[in-house]
Amino acid sequence: MEALIMEEVVKAFGVVRAVDGLSLSVQQGEILGFLGANGAGKTTSIKMLLGFFRPDRGRVEVLGKDPCDPAARIKIGFMPETAYYYPFLNVRELLALYGGLCGMGRESIARRTETLIPRVGLSEAGKRPLRTYSKGMLQRAGIAQALLHDPDLLILDEPFTGLDPLARIQLRDLILDLRRQGKTVFFSSHELSEAELICDRVAILRQGRLVSCGSVRELAGDGGQNLERIFLKVLGVDAQGGRLA
Amino acid sequence: MRPIALQISALSKLAVLDLYRRKDLAVVFVLGGVILAPLLFFTPFGVSTASRYTNELALLLVWLFSAVIGLGVSARLFPPEFESRTIYPLLSKPVSRGTVLAGKYLGALAASLSALAVFYAAYGLLAGVRQGVWFPLIFWQALFLHAAFMVVVTALSLLGSLTLTASANLTMCGLLTVGMLVFGQRLPELATAQPVPGKWVLYAIHWIAPHLEFFDLRQRLVHEWPPIGWGVCVAVWLYALCYAAACLALASVVLRRKKF
Repeated sequence: MEALIMEEVVKAFGVVRAVDGLSLSVQQGEILGFLGANGAGKTTSIKMLLGFFRPDRGRVEVLGKDPCDPAARIKIGFMPETAYYYPFLNVRELLALYGGLCGMGRESIARRTETLIPRVGLSEAGKRPLRTYSKGMLQRAGIAQALLHDPDLLILDEPFTGLDPLARIQLRDLILDLRRQGKTVFFSSHELSEAELICDRVAILRQGRLVSCGSVRELAGDGGQNLERIFLKVLGVDAQGGRLA
Repeated sequence: MRPIALQISALSKLAVLDLYRRKDLAVVFVLGGVILAPLLFFTPFGVSTASRYTNELALLLVWLFSAVIGLGVSARLFPPEFESRTIYPLLSKPVSRGTVLAGKYLGALAASLSALAVFYAAYGLLAGVRQGVWFPLIFWQALFLHAAFMVVVTALSLLGSLTLTASANLTMCGLLTVGMLVFGQRLPELATAQPVPGKWVLYAIHWIAPHLEFFDLRQRLVHEWPPIGWGVCVAVWLYALCYAAACLALASVVLRRKKF
């Protein structure tokens, strides 16, 4: 069964088509890496998946529902690209806020908080206000809030940005662990090596269009190339950024 | 609790924490205390009736500080969410934009009303010590209508916070508040005396802007005039609720149409 479906989706801002006829589906329990250069339309697509705005044309469905309906988001966890949170809260208060927004009771928030804070490595900093956190720590808090209500689908926008090597490994293990639990993970990234290590499939976007989609092995073909080479080839550029003939 | 009540409660708590963990509120309280206390114990020229003027000045400061807090809290409700992008994780939760608006408004109102209660308690205690009259009925009516004033100004500032920066919103709402408190009652009179199109502009302001002077019972409180009828109080509260509801409905439309 598909966890998310985008069918012929078009979204324009003025004369610029940020997303142009994108069709994509992700199966439940799958990890899909959503790749593309800056301005390729990844974040716009994610915003439509979260119901922040509707597409101009086409259909978006998440877990069988229209994401613009708040009830559809009850099983979605989202971590934004730039993870700034309320600086005057500590991570426990942040989780209490988001738990309340998910309609969770005080006891279940407390239970999940006790599980998640050590899992994302914030046990030591649990009582410190978020304004004292480093970027990597804020990313960890972002992961905790995304997982708080035990979602079936996780949408992560550039989750590896700002993480140190240890935190990257932990996040990678966490994502793989979520897949073992049957969760679906959809993440956008510029970190091709991370995507190559954990994704079942990758989708590559260029100027709002899907130019390639499949497992790294499928995309590599007989050449046995790594994802970086595939990415450059699909985008039609060489390693120096010049356009290929 | 129902999920929507949990959501509104979580958002309201956020607005209250935001206000009470900022240093500026502490500054307003300390400043308020430092200015109010000497004023209320000072008797100009040794004439007890002249003390009414110091009471009037003290109440003016209560109005000023409460307006700054009410406008300031709600002016900051949305701009930081947009600037620091905390609006994204917020709206990714199963919460409607209407609920976000309601939660933030109620939180700002609760924070402002709690500050108002502190100011009035201080005024009531100090005025009671000095004049020997403890919390007369007109005091409660003044507080009751001042609370209605807060209902209106927080809604107005919340509406502005969706489209303006916090400082621009605070300036605009502040000018409107002071302008309506000073000239609100005289707008039709001023409009009649103006040539077209100034006349139309003043009439438009008269019909559109909130008549904040309705909520002001300072003169009655200072001069110990008899209380007003409760029917009038209820009518003024209904006016406040209608005006705030109109602002919130408009804010809801703006927030629903807003693209992030």
